[in-house]
Amino acid sequence: MLRRRPQLLWLLVPYALYLGALPFVNRVDPVVLGLPFLFVWLLGATLLTPVAVWLTRRGDRR
Amino acid sequence: MNAAIATSVFGVFMVVTVALGLLAVRGRGSGGRGGLAEWSVGGRSLGAVFIWVLMAGEGYTSFSYLGAAGWGYNYGAPVLYVVAYMSCGYAVGYVVGPMLWAYARRHGLVGITDMVAHRFGRPWLGALVAVLATVFLLPYIQLQITGMGVVVSTISYGAISLNWAYFIAFAVTTGFVVVSGLRGSAWVSVLKDVLVIATLGFLAFYVPLHYFDGYGPFLDRLVTEKSEWLTFPGHGDSGLGQAWFITTSFLNSLTVVIFPTTVAGYLGAKNADVLRRNAMWLPAYNVLLFVPMLLGMAALFVVPGLVGAESNLALFKLVVDSLPAWAVGVIGVAAALSSIVPMAVFMLVIGTMWGRSVLSLVPRWQHRQKGAAQTVVVAAGVIALVLTYTAPNTLVRLSLISYEGMAQLLPMVLLGLMWRRLTLLGALAGLVVGVGTVCGFVFTENDPVWGVNAGIVALAANLVVALAVTYAGPREHDERPDREVLARDETGEPTLAASPTTGSEAVTVAGAGPAGV
Repeated sequence: MLRRRPQLLWLLVPYALYLGALPFVNRVDPVVLGLPFLFVWLLGATLLTPVAVWLTRRGDRR
Repeated sequence: MNAAIATSVFGVFMVVTVALGLLAVRGRGSGGRGGLAEWSVGGRSLGAVFIWVLMAGEGYTSFSYLGAAGWGYNYGAPVLYVVAYMSCGYAVGYVVGPMLWAYARRHGLVGITDMVAHRFGRPWLGALVAVLATVFLLPYIQLQITGMGVVVSTISYGAISLNWAYFIAFAVTTGFVVVSGLRGSAWVSVLKDVLVIATLGFLAFYVPLHYFDGYGPFLDRLVTEKSEWLTFPGHGDSGLGQAWFITTSFLNSLTVVIFPTTVAGYLGAKNADVLRRNAMWLPAYNVLLFVPMLLGMAALFVVPGLVGAESNLALFKLVVDSLPAWAVGVIGVAAALSSIVPMAVFMLVIGTMWGRSVLSLVPRWQHRQKGAAQTVVVAAGVIALVLTYTAPNTLVRLSLISYEGMAQLLPMVLLGLMWRRLTLLGALAGLVVGVGTVCGFVFTENDPVWGVNAGIVALAANLVVALAVTYAGPREHDERPDREVLARDETGEPTLAASPTTGSEAVTVAGAGPAGV
């Protein structure tokens, strides 16, 4: 499945951002625009997830 | 006076809701032409737009509206698991959704119970899974009843007691789902989404301005005074640390793709590509979830001292405290609809599972599947209502229990559809061990256990047993070829090639809806 559709690996990006990176981002500082860093990170991950899925889909449509 | 205004606004919208549900199905489901498939999967003809709102609707329930605020209030950061698992779940759904859709379409199936029965060639297995899945959905229905009850009671400024409010929530929803089915739910889902986005967007700006003179001062106070809430393990001796967050998000992200309600959404799609596009856009909607979480933490400053299940009220205490009665009514409608739509889908799914997989085993009922299914729906609602009175809990806790149980179906459903070697005996043995382990942990209040989600411990045991029994036990003899039994990994070239047109089709379907009424 992965050999035929390597683009599926993009779908691991949200797992890496939300779960894999957690130990490194579990902190209040630096505060960005008033938001604690953990929240900034997870907000960023939320915005990047659609991009990861889009990349997979782009690979599928080729 | 306040109570009268808020309740009237609320009442009017409830009438509109039911009318919309009725309009959506008029001429479709009536006269016996519709049957179970129309009622349950909308005749498999809903386009991208409808599936999007419907699936978004299921994701954004009173659990996220009120529950997220409640857990934000109680614990803080741990509630962010909701965002994490939903985003990851959509990514997994990109692969699994089209797979399940194609499998169901090819073999004429309407849910996971059907799929399991077909995969293992045993109708009774479908019945067993239907019963189990129903049990695991009950906490979720209880969640919705609790959520809507809280709303009804609060917007009446206490004139309607919580106990009566729970009953009203149950009655409105059950009535709605019996008449409207999936198509009706999709229609009301549109109304709900508009209201939820509008009210959350409004509250996101209004609450910090009203109480703290803007976001800057609000966040400053949060960071300096409540920093305990802002990182794991959050506030209090919750046991909800990083390990819990990671395991829970991981477990839920896998479970959500076989959650019977998600699958109902998948199967309602007109083609597989609709699902791929949804998987791409739905995660963006998760940004909205940060709002109730922040508002829940804002409530810490305004209404301190809510404990346990009272925290469900955190968001609405703010609303009632700071807004005029008519606005309280409108926000109440948004929150109530975010209970009604998902609960309707939940009950619908239960009805479908029973109609197809349990009641169909009794020959006498076979031609009355839809009626019997509706009876089961009402029964499930009643049980959930009783649970609401006898075992109240926080909204998020209820959701967690539901997911931990449902996760035990993963090896049987997902692995089973992809791996031919998995035997019935193996899958069954794993399921028994998994469900037993979850019940053991949950009923002895040992969840989280050793700092991780109890469901993932049970799933590990489940998987080990399933594999061990499969390899050690007897091989199965099934004459059917692989393509009859397994779900295929399809990139769906035919549909993809046609995708430039599907976009416009989806719009036509959404637009054609009212004309078709």
